[in-house]
Amino acid sequence: MYKKALDKLQVLTIDFEKFLNKIFSQQYNPFYYHGAVPNLFMWTLFITGLLLFAYFQPTLDSAYISVNYISTKIPFGQIVRGLHRYAADAMMIAVLIHAIRVFFTDRYRKYRWIAWYSGVALLLCMLVIGITGYVLVWDERSYMIVLMMADALKQIPLIGYPLAKLFVNGEVVTHYTMAMSFFIHVGISFFLLYLLWLHYVRISRPVIDVPLGLGLLLFSLIIIPSALIPVLSGKPAVLTQTPHEFPVDWFYLWIFPLFSGMPALIVWTGLFVAVAILLLVPYLIVDIPKSPAAVSLDNCVGCTLCAKDCPYEAIYMVPRTDHPKYKQLAIVIDSRCAECGLCVGACAFKAIDLPQKHSKEIIAKIGDVLKEPVGAGA
Amino acid sequence: MAETKKKILGIVCERSVDLKKHIQKNRLKDKDNVSIVELTCSGMIQPIMLEEAFKQGAEGVFVMGCQIGDCHFREGNKWCQERLLGQRPPNIKKTVDKNKVRGYWLAKCDYKKFLDKVSKFEEDLNNVNS
Repeated sequence: MYKKALDKLQVLTIDFEKFLNKIFSQQYNPFYYHGAVPNLFMWTLFITGLLLFAYFQPTLDSAYISVNYISTKIPFGQIVRGLHRYAADAMMIAVLIHAIRVFFTDRYRKYRWIAWYSGVALLLCMLVIGITGYVLVWDERSYMIVLMMADALKQIPLIGYPLAKLFVNGEVVTHYTMAMSFFIHVGISFFLLYLLWLHYVRISRPVIDVPLGLGLLLFSLIIIPSALIPVLSGKPAVLTQTPHEFPVDWFYLWIFPLFSGMPALIVWTGLFVAVAILLLVPYLIVDIPKSPAAVSLDNCVGCTLCAKDCPYEAIYMVPRTDHPKYKQLAIVIDSRCAECGLCVGACAFKAIDLPQKHSKEIIAKIGDVLKEPVGAGA
Repeated sequence: MAETKKKILGIVCERSVDLKKHIQKNRLKDKDNVSIVELTCSGMIQPIMLEEAFKQGAEGVFVMGCQIGDCHFREGNKWCQERLLGQRPPNIKKTVDKNKVRGYWLAKCDYKKFLDKVSKFEEDLNNVNS
């Protein structure tokens, strides 16, 4: 039942992508670069973030002023600020599409579990970066975010109070609150790079760049709004006045309307359960036991073709001493093997094979199938 | 064309065009001169398999994988395509007549397109020999 629904979703995805192929052509279909698109926006965020970093002053007194200074006085400051905001939203959209696509096309489990798990971590980090990013502007919304987040964190049993104290950086909002948000915002951004390494670690030749044409198109999607609809701060925060309303960025700040609508503990539990479900999803489908590719010692000549073609870095070449002529031997790391058979296709010496679907059997089947006279089947 | 039905073999990725409904005894129901062998991924297809097929009497062989850019195993159809084009080792032996080999890159629900391509292939084969 569950599996059938997933199959339907896969066909749906393929149909949709075929439609996109007609518009973009196969070479520029953004869905064939669904992993590279978030990457494009991420680097936009890093570069614009670096530029903003040059003028931003992380104190309560000057944060608001310095952000406005960037917007109004620095050449192209408004555009850089806009890019930083819109790229963040675009990245979230792209990441969600990426996640949904790998889920629909069944490319998230088994040998890909590490990419799925690091992906969940990346998503959570993005949310934290987004929320702290909104604090840095230090308008009324920022103040409200700090207050609501601190209150909500305190509701978590045991670790809640220390967490809230860490987030506010003390009992009350001070300059150090801003410093902490700034640190989290920038620090976790760099932590993303480590998580991305985990995300790519078992993938040979990850596709991390989009073609130039597609890149320009996607970039125009964020640079045009940032020129036409400038990003503006709200009213400056005043510590003695607690604001009541703020415009919500639904990609990053969706948790705050939840906080105002129900007890924070329920929201945290919901979030916890959602993450737990995400982490369990890869194991909902039970598979037949694994039978990774096996190398035949007698046949392997150490030509490295299988290691080069393996899409999951599952094959390594090791030095070999037991053979007079051949100096290298291919080794399969079982846990990484996807049983896809690409190594079998790359081998001209019948030295690597899938035990369950041996190339010998396929060749034998080719012979059998061709032996039957035409017309016998129908 | 009706009297000279060429023996055609398709080596097919099980994730590309969904042939399960259209196969009977390893042959296409719509074209009984076309035999089908399915495997995990088009990237698994060895040049030896093509050679073997011709040795066993196939008059034309086509290889089918998913749309380029959308391989379940990331790069299988790309490798297979490059091998057919002679750009990636192991190479297909020169004794194999490339006019009798085709590569199709189609998605799961492209059965109609697939039939058209196979018909075109049959026509081409008839033209090659005459």
